[in-house]
Amino acid sequence: MQLYDPTASGAERTLSRAGALAAIEGKTIGILENGKLNAPEMLREIADLFVARHGCTIHAVYSKSNASAPAPAETLAQAAAEVDFLITGLGD
Amino acid sequence: MPFDSHRIHDIPDDLLAAIDYCYEQGWTDGLPVIPPVLDRVHAMLAYEGRPPEAVIATHPATTLQLTVHAAAVNAVMAGCLPEYFPVLVAAFEAMDKPDFNFHGSTASTGGSAPLLIVSGGYADDIGMNADVNLFGPGNRANATIGRATRLILRNVFQMIPGISDKSTQGNPGKYSFCIAERARGNPWPLLCQEQDYPEGVSSVTVFAGGGFCNVENHGGNTPEQILGSVADAMANYGCITLGQSVVILAPEHMRIVAGAGWSRKDAQEFLFAHAKRSIEGMKSVGKYRDVEYDKQHGPDAHSLAQPGYIHRGLGPDDILIAMGGGDAGGHSCFIPSWSRGRGSIMQHKPIGVCIDCN
Repeated sequence: MQLYDPTASGAERTLSRAGALAAIEGKTIGILENGKLNAPEMLREIADLFVARHGCTIHAVYSKSNASAPAPAETLAQAAAEVDFLITGLGD
Repeated sequence: MPFDSHRIHDIPDDLLAAIDYCYEQGWTDGLPVIPPVLDRVHAMLAYEGRPPEAVIATHPATTLQLTVHAAAVNAVMAGCLPEYFPVLVAAFEAMDKPDFNFHGSTASTGGSAPLLIVSGGYADDIGMNADVNLFGPGNRANATIGRATRLILRNVFQMIPGISDKSTQGNPGKYSFCIAERARGNPWPLLCQEQDYPEGVSSVTVFAGGGFCNVENHGGNTPEQILGSVADAMANYGCITLGQSVVILAPEHMRIVAGAGWSRKDAQEFLFAHAKRSIEGMKSVGKYRDVEYDKQHGPDAHSLAQPGYIHRGLGPDDILIAMGGGDAGGHSCFIPSWSRGRGSIMQHKPIGVCIDCN
């Protein structure tokens, strides 16, 4: 008996992570908040720890209009150009 | 010829062992599947004009793609007959529209399930149930088209419970959630007509449904009484949001509403106007948010949005109303949107025809 495979087909995809920063002292931070209740407050609290402990600077808060959809490509491109690292996460 | 000879599994010629093999591969929803043997998949493909490698939908986060072929394989596994396949294809074309956001609505803790509502003659052509036990078991087309939707989400898009599907509780519709709009005795235009498809063209509407709420009313005799009980269900504190709604009116309720001369638009406006909670009430349960109130009462506010209240949805058009179910019984239902807002907007597509494609 022969069965077709029901899973997705197609070419193997190569995914990679951004390289880790060698150090975080003095780096510029971006915050990507997802629009959920308390998300900006929670993420800013975290960013403030980096400011206090590592002399980082908070450059910008980027927002998603839809918490459950991927961030728009232009938002990510803008953040990549403007900050050294981005803090994001679910706030609820 | 096989579509992709590298993705064929050669197994012993034993049907029960093949069913077990599908379990072992992690290809099922927990229930046994029909092993996707080649000739059954080819028969399914015969109902689609595009080549097997044509892409129907793409996952926005992972870029995994649903091809016609993969859809056919999963349709066979769910138990679909080939003539059901155009409904399944149209459903995923609708879900592929960005505003449906099928990644979020299938990954979220909210646990929604895609509800498919088939409208028009095609539902009768393939023997769908729009009548007694509408949402229940017993009809092959309803059950297997809905089930195939789930199998595709699981097998193709890898929405695996506990890994990429993080539903806190899920809902029973995640096994199968597919109905037909009842045409027999329906006093209103069918959804496919309201959607402006040409005469004779059927449609499927997809909605990320957050569950099922029965609305019982055997005592009401006026549209206001019947729809008042529906509006109360829509405004319960557990699910009132700015999200959309689906209301399936039982024929008994429809006779009261339409018999008094009410149109679909009249009913939508009544439900929007009455499905509401006060700001104080929303605050009392910790669910009030300024941004949501402002969105509903800003410059684009609908004229029926009452100051001081949060209504369900942004306007009457956010409430889909259709008729379905058996003749007897004052049991309608309200199906809330996924989660807390407008993360997914319902979509529709024609079945088996290409109207707005290139």
